Amino acid sequence: MEIKVLAFAGSPRRGGNSETLLDWVLEAMGSEEGVRIEKFALVEANVNPCRGCNACETLNRCVQRDGMDMLHDRIIGADAIVLAAPIFCMGINAQTKALIDRFQVFRSRKYVLHLPVVPPERKGKRMGVFLSTAGQDWDYVFDAAIPSVKCFFHVIDVRDRDIRYLMVNNVDEKGAILKHPTARTDALRLGHEVISELRKRLSG
Amino acid sequence: MVIRVLGISGSPHRHGNTETLLDAFLEGAKSAGAEVEKVVLKDLHYSPCRGCNTCHREGKCIVEDEALPLFDTILASDCLGVASPIYSMGITAELKGLIDRAQFIWARKYILKTLYFSDEHIRRHKGIFISTAGLSWDNVFDAAFPAMTAFFNTLGFEYYDNIIANEMDRYGGIRGHPTALSEAREKGAAVVRVIGKLQKPRP
Repeated sequence: MEIKVLAFAGSPRRGGNSETLLDWVLEAMGSEEGVRIEKFALVEANVNPCRGCNACETLNRCVQRDGMDMLHDRIIGADAIVLAAPIFCMGINAQTKALIDRFQVFRSRKYVLHLPVVPPERKGKRMGVFLSTAGQDWDYVFDAAIPSVKCFFHVIDVRDRDIRYLMVNNVDEKGAILKHPTARTDALRLGHEVISELRKRLSG
Repeated sequence: MVIRVLGISGSPHRHGNTETLLDAFLEGAKSAGAEVEKVVLKDLHYSPCRGCNTCHREGKCIVEDEALPLFDTILASDCLGVASPIYSMGITAELKGLIDRAQFIWARKYILKTLYFSDEHIRRHKGIFISTAGLSWDNVFDAAFPAMTAFFNTLGFEYYDNIIANEMDRYGGIRGHPTALSEAREKGAAVVRVIGKLQKPRP
């Protein structure tokens, strides 16, 4: 059985620290048999911010026609969704926040229209991964990002207990993560772990 | 001496709950004699920070768009009212886009050390966060505060107060809220009076 992984590199800086962390996770996932990975860099994905028009509460779709059109079905179809974003100014960067806010269409579907987001047989079988890096060395630097990340996953039927986190602070300049003592090992381990957990769930 | 109050509306939704709350704050400020101006981020052309870190070396932003003159206006203001609704437990992408662009000012202060705000300057410049949320949760604004703290700190403004109202869904919008708009008006007038007392008469 094929396992579908959808990955978002949320940083405007291509090949930077958070995307490197993502690439390590995807490297481990891709080395496993039967895993299909699709990765999108948000800086090229043309996802506009939410307009707050609330039309999705009645239309069950977004009125904006942009990069989200291509991503919508992939988000629903994926078994694992991996979101990687740097922390800018104590929060998730703006491009990633725009993607998170556009998940309002799923929130409306789930909580306002009470329609299924994924088919019932796939509930509890999806997993989410949040990867992040920050320049500051404060250990609370990721705290304000977490609530938005939880919204992102909850509305697409990834439960709290099915979200995995790997967040690395004190990496600022491009490439700093390459010198981090544990980031690569942790990322590879996480990639393998998520795939083996999904394999168990999908065959069960 | 004129006290300049700048309102920044970070909502994509014109004249919604958050902008209405900001308007009440600005009304109060004006009633206390301030010169007020409002900027609506959705009508401004600017892109998010590219994370290129050029500002860490040069102290300026290489993205030349409408964010840069706005930062001039911000730095020339005595009081900022920064408004955003809560979307997905955080501020909007529009406002976060502007906040992230303040990196060049942060770089001037902390990397290049070419910019310094004295304690007295910070005391005389006050920042207020204005927000609304649909949900009733008490913690719905919590994840917005750290980015606002970072923004005001970077710009040399004291993070003075919040004007926040949740449960918009229950009240049917800000106009149905029993106290929010009057509180915003009072706080707008009060902060102008406080800044007025702190300002030294210029020779």
